Amino acid sequence: MRCWVSLFAALVVACLAVNVLPVSAVGPGEADAAVADADGALRGAFVAASDAESVGANVSGLMGRLTEAGAALTGAKVALASGNYSHAVSWAGTCKALAEGVSGDAGVLKSDSVARAAGWWLAVSFGVVGAAVFVAVLFLVWRWFRRVYGGKLLESRPEVAV
Amino acid sequence: MWSLVDCRNVFLAVGMIGVIVFSVPSAMVLVRLPGGERFSELYVLGAGHMAEDYPFNVSVGGDNLVFLGVSDHLGSAAYYEVVLKLRNSTEALPNATSGVASPLPVLYSYEVFLTDGQTWEGGLNFSFSDVVFGENVSSVGRIRINDAWVNVDKSAVWDNANNGYFYQLIAELWLYNGTISSFGFHDRYVTLWLNMTSAA
Repeated sequence: MRCWVSLFAALVVACLAVNVLPVSAVGPGEADAAVADADGALRGAFVAASDAESVGANVSGLMGRLTEAGAALTGAKVALASGNYSHAVSWAGTCKALAEGVSGDAGVLKSDSVARAAGWWLAVSFGVVGAAVFVAVLFLVWRWFRRVYGGKLLESRPEVAV
Repeated sequence: MWSLVDCRNVFLAVGMIGVIVFSVPSAMVLVRLPGGERFSELYVLGAGHMAEDYPFNVSVGGDNLVFLGVSDHLGSAAYYEVVLKLRNSTEALPNATSGVASPLPVLYSYEVFLTDGQTWEGGLNFSFSDVVFGENVSSVGRIRINDAWVNVDKSAVWDNANNGYFYQLIAELWLYNGTISSFGFHDRYVTLWLNMTSAA
């Protein structure tokens, strides 16, 4: 019986060690670093989204997700200021994960927009070349028409009414 | 029969129309119309999302609700920070003319990301605790902003002219500058005057 009690006690201690101790062991330095890390990730994600926007991507969805990440950062800062370091690390982790997701998606959006911009330049080139070809063809038609018109004018006999 | 000059005019007209038709897609890509004035908005609304019913007489434990709003009209995406500060009537306000923020400590901040034309609104729920009234002076120990309790240790002397212990909640708008990787005061702030009373 004593053996079973000892085993149970050992299991309880092991569970506590695995589940509780790592969380409660978070110190102010680690929490501070986690919040700074999340802050940096958030700023980096915004810069990535801005870059995507600058090449024509629609980033309104990314902005909404960044605001969510910003709320998590606020939670982390508040928890850090109030000495709740484990919560600060948890909030900072949420913020960082969201920000990194946005950074990745912003990169994809930017690539898509750059490819689309290349398509626009193709349209521009087509427009310029098309206009030039149209004017050239019209000029040739005009020259042909003028020759035909002049020929017809010369062939026509003036009739003199008496 | 048309004269040669008439025919030439017709050819010229057709040519011009053709050039215009061909250049429309290019013009749409290349020509950028000038945008309007670039600015940001920061505003505060009462509990009913209207510019009325702002909290004024506050006391210990009483919940107060207002809404803060930010609008982006900068022509591009922007990263704003709305920071909250608490002052008494002798402490410095921000100076929007010279672009200097209030030197008081930040109690709470909202991180807001907007694209051009977007608006954000967020609730600001606050209450006070550890409020002490002395002879012609009151002091506030802590303020709760949304779910966060923050130590403030702020005092205000009795205002004889207006009959009250006045504090002012300040919301400043800061804008992130990606070029220098830092926030700068965006010359906009709103304030709420609060009269601390002992009545619950």
